[in-house]
Amino acid sequence: MRGGLKPFVAVQMRSRDVVTGAAFLALGLAMAWFTAALPVRSLPNTPGPEFFPWVVTVLIVALALMVLARAVVRDAGAGDMSGVAAQGRERSPLAAAGVLACFIVYLWLLARLGFVVATVPFFACLMMLYGERRPAVVALGAAIATAVLYVVFRHLFQIILPQGLLAGVVP
Amino acid sequence: MSPDVAAGLGQASALSSLIATGCGSLIGLVVGMLPGMTISSGIIIVLPLTFVLDPQISIALLLGLYVGGMMGGSFSAILLNIPGTPSAAATASDGHAMARRGEAGRALGIAIGASFVGGMVSFLGLFLIAPLLADVALSFRTADMFALVFFGLTIVCSFAGASLIKALLSAALGLAIVTIGQDPVMGTARFTFGETEMLAGVHFLTAMIGLFAIPQLVENLGDAARGRPAQRIARGMRQVLPRLSDLRAMRMPVAVGSATGAALGVLPGVGGPIAAFIAYDYSRRLSRDGTEYGRGAVGGIAAPESANNGVTGGALIPMMTLGIPGDPVTAILIGALMVHGLAPGPLLFVERGDFAFGIIFSFLWANIFNLVIAFAGLRVLVRLLATPRPLLMPTIAVLCVVGSFALRNSLFDVAVMFAFGLIGLAMRWAAMPVVPLLLALVLGRQVEENLRISLTGSQGDPTVFLTSPIALTFLTLSVVSVAWSLRPPGGWIASLKGRRGPPPEELES
Repeated sequence: MRGGLKPFVAVQMRSRDVVTGAAFLALGLAMAWFTAALPVRSLPNTPGPEFFPWVVTVLIVALALMVLARAVVRDAGAGDMSGVAAQGRERSPLAAAGVLACFIVYLWLLARLGFVVATVPFFACLMMLYGERRPAVVALGAAIATAVLYVVFRHLFQIILPQGLLAGVVP
Repeated sequence: MSPDVAAGLGQASALSSLIATGCGSLIGLVVGMLPGMTISSGIIIVLPLTFVLDPQISIALLLGLYVGGMMGGSFSAILLNIPGTPSAAATASDGHAMARRGEAGRALGIAIGASFVGGMVSFLGLFLIAPLLADVALSFRTADMFALVFFGLTIVCSFAGASLIKALLSAALGLAIVTIGQDPVMGTARFTFGETEMLAGVHFLTAMIGLFAIPQLVENLGDAARGRPAQRIARGMRQVLPRLSDLRAMRMPVAVGSATGAALGVLPGVGGPIAAFIAYDYSRRLSRDGTEYGRGAVGGIAAPESANNGVTGGALIPMMTLGIPGDPVTAILIGALMVHGLAPGPLLFVERGDFAFGIIFSFLWANIFNLVIAFAGLRVLVRLLATPRPLLMPTIAVLCVVGSFALRNSLFDVAVMFAFGLIGLAMRWAAMPVVPLLLALVLGRQVEENLRISLTGSQGDPTVFLTSPIALTFLTLSVVSVAWSLRPPGGWIASLKGRRGPPPEELES
């Protein structure tokens, strides 16, 4: 990594550590809240269902505070920068967001339209996001791949997939 | 031959199991060599099939994939200088150097041969040691089991990477997730928020699919052009079977690599990459001319390849006898067995000895199939390096959905899988390792169960863990394991004497 970039990356990583520490601290506190509401059904001197969640809660809070403290105290030029380095490998944040958006829409459609109808557009969108630009290849690829996956899982391996709109139409 | 051994051999050698092993090896070789794909991705692909297959056939398929994936990783390391799996990283320098000299076939042949020998040595270790260790583990009480599983949990330190605190936080998150659903002792509902589907908790495999596959799908965006250089290098592939002189040169590195891999594989947390690099280093030191290493030395390919395949059998020993995963893949294997109601551990050898030995012999077959498929289909396999990403990645995405749905026929599980994918991405953004979370998901329930039963038995007295020699030994090992991870650069002694190692910045560069 070039020397001029390093302090910037370290600052970026430090701010990520602050966010990470804060998020886990919030998780720990939420867990403490819900653990306190758990029913106590234990015999005297024996651990009940709330015992282990309390152990984990304390662990999360303590470690989150350590991450926060380290981020605050740490010198801007030092520290773990693997996360930022890894981020650098991601080529397109927009495409990544596209993949995740496709998943969300697909999960919503899957329950309503069924596997076959929902998978074809999902597959086609992903093909385009992964670089396929020819419309005929996208359309054919998505349709054939969906059909093959459906036949293999439904008929060869007897896995019941959501039928949705095509219930009773597609065997 | 004991009845269980004979029955296990029979099960593993049944036609259906052999076909499954062969298919697994083939898939493993392909996913192992495709850069950006891992053995875990391969398992995700076949996971839905294992739910409907017979347990013996399922495990044969998965073992074939595990062993094949280890070998396949070396193909792209040699041809592209991109290790298909982390375990093949040590092979890349010498393997690719040899391939660039126009001897790609020779390099691949050496890798295949060395991988086979490493796998066979680890099979012998598995066959001889696993039943004995299972016998010992049968005498463990709950306090001992807690200490053992806790020791297994300290493996997270091995996967800490740059930050031990973040690794521990990742494991703590896994333990928190494990508490969702009914508690393992009294059945009390915890953190279910009134959702009946949450009562059964988060299924480990659902979480695993999301954690591994979704970040990988994102990471692979824009990698469509990869693979073409391999075609160019592979054109010069004539000789594939190792020459007699190569076999002679391989003897010492393979012996070092196989022994290192099989021995280190038994230690939880020591995966293929560590064993491969250690074997490479020892082999270089023991060779007559260590300067050849890094420039296409036979030993530089044979030592790491025999070591990373040697690890596979070793890693199966703690998995089968103690229920402790040796690496992420064996953690997934535990989950796959649990789907069939089979819990790996010492009781597996008592209650289902035939099945336990079936696993061991399937591992043997996996190594044999690997050798045959790799040598016979090498030229065809190499062409698969150019598989178009626009077709491969959407297929994996759909398989993730089918896999998580098929587990319990639940769309809720698909949503949980996606949520774990987002968690995986967030952890990647925060530079937190995912493997500790995975290990905590596998071991967390056992930790809680054994801890609470032990404390209930002792009326809340924690000294129960110190009065048992076995528990005390494992707890001491846990402390040593953590202390080892915390050691300062240069070691504790140098640190105490005031001699400091290089600062972190220097180490990073």
